[in-house]
Amino acid sequence: MKKHYIIFAGLVLMGIFYPQMFPGYLSVAITLLLYAGWATAWDILGGWAGQVSLGHASFVGLGAYFVAVETSHHEIAPWWAVLMALIAAAILAYLWGRLTFKLKGPYFTLSTIAIAEVFRLIAINEGWLTGGATGVFIMTLPEPFGLDLFSRQVNYYLALAFAAITVLVVMLISRSKFGYQLRAVREDEDSAMASGINPTTVKLKAFMLSGALTALGGGIYAIFLSFIEPHIIFYLLLSVQIALTAIIGGRGTIWGPCIGALLVVGSGELFRTTFAEANMLIYGLLIMVVVIFMPRGIVGEPARYLIRRVYAKRAQS
Amino acid sequence: MPSALRADGITVKFGGVVAVNDVSLDVEQGKILGLIGPNGAGKTTLFNALTGFVTPQAGRIYLHGNEITRLPPYRRIRIGIGRTFQTERPFEELTLLENVLVAAFLKEPKRKKAERLAMDALEKVGLADRYDQPALDLNLARRRRLELAKALAVQPSVLFLDEMMAGLNPPALKDMIGFVRQLTDQNLTIVMVEHIMEAIIALSDHVIVMANGSVITEGLPGDVIEDPRVITAYLGED
Repeated sequence: MKKHYIIFAGLVLMGIFYPQMFPGYLSVAITLLLYAGWATAWDILGGWAGQVSLGHASFVGLGAYFVAVETSHHEIAPWWAVLMALIAAAILAYLWGRLTFKLKGPYFTLSTIAIAEVFRLIAINEGWLTGGATGVFIMTLPEPFGLDLFSRQVNYYLALAFAAITVLVVMLISRSKFGYQLRAVREDEDSAMASGINPTTVKLKAFMLSGALTALGGGIYAIFLSFIEPHIIFYLLLSVQIALTAIIGGRGTIWGPCIGALLVVGSGELFRTTFAEANMLIYGLLIMVVVIFMPRGIVGEPARYLIRRVYAKRAQS
Repeated sequence: MPSALRADGITVKFGGVVAVNDVSLDVEQGKILGLIGPNGAGKTTLFNALTGFVTPQAGRIYLHGNEITRLPPYRRIRIGIGRTFQTERPFEELTLLENVLVAAFLKEPKRKKAERLAMDALEKVGLADRYDQPALDLNLARRRRLELAKALAVQPSVLFLDEMMAGLNPPALKDMIGFVRQLTDQNLTIVMVEHIMEAIIALSDHVIVMANGSVITEGLPGDVIEDPRVITAYLGED
């Protein structure tokens, strides 16, 4: 576990100096960090608790809209808007989970698509609340400590903080009572109950934490884009990308979602410039290769292999 | 001796099928109750009703005099029931210690103390020296022992064992009988569903024989297996 904290500290340190080293590549890095954070947050529910959601775009949208609407229509400072979004996301996740956690496996997943679609339609059609299909512009933002929140540099550090917070939360969870309850529920709910665990409560907590963290990223995303459209931000494709990022990297692992983000965002960027239109083809191939040859993900597969080998070696000696 | 577990008139129906029909039982503290019967007799259903995994249509269940009939399984576990599953499914990536830790966290939220509880449970089933081994690749006998350690780590007062002995080879069977025997020395009450007669005879203080959802006879293990009704239930009429 100690090594995880060392890696974490090293990466954060590298992250802090990145803008000085590659000032031309800030936008890619912001996207990568947001996806790393979202995938890590998604993984609390999807990987650790084993409840695959394809509706997490709702939480991105919730966070983004709270920040955009509150700052531009009600002149509320973005940090208060983010705080409101976190609370709203936790409440939403609670109600959502209460409604759908009776469903198991793929049925739960399907229900998340349906509910997310409802939010997309609300965002498009309820103009009085959301600005409707045309979206919302963020025109002005306050300047705390003289920081320009519209600058790429500040956006970058916000995204870095977001990714770091989510990974830190997961690192803390992984060794705690809650982390073991999540794994137990994922593996077998009956067996979890035999350990005195109420599976519904554990899943609700996971969903609330996952949803709130995703909304935090959504709020930062809104500031980064400074213009949000319901078609994009509430769209199924975003939910799928968040889920795929975590799945490709390795569900239920600390670093899997980050590695997934590096691969998905990094390769997306690379292929788009080199292969133009063919980039989706390569993206699809990449997903297939991982799913077929590394069903536990890029981090999950070698981790399992390593556990086996280390133990086998020790058993021989 | 006070009654640790009592059930009155338990009836469980699945649609039109009566799986358990008006079964009553009473287990004294520190005793072992054996539940036997041919396949489909309703043993496992009764077992699930007592532990809360199935809701009975009629009857009442008491743990140390307190009614628990309507409590969900995890709440029964919190007030003193422990159970194993016939098909054990350990968390393969986790070590044996971590597997038991999940259960130990119930009574001790602090990791260090929970680890100590988990270690104690592993010691009771003779797996303490393998605590840092991943549960991956564990053989059947050790998986069973791990399952028993998990059930013990919730610190139960009444322990339900679901076919712990099935499929074990003779030395492993002997070990397992030894582990269970030791538990009653610590005043633990045990209810076990079992097909292995050797284990039933060696361990049970009292045996209930079920067939077609009803109790056909009960008594001391030695007497029960001689009973012609029991032999008929297992082997059928001539």
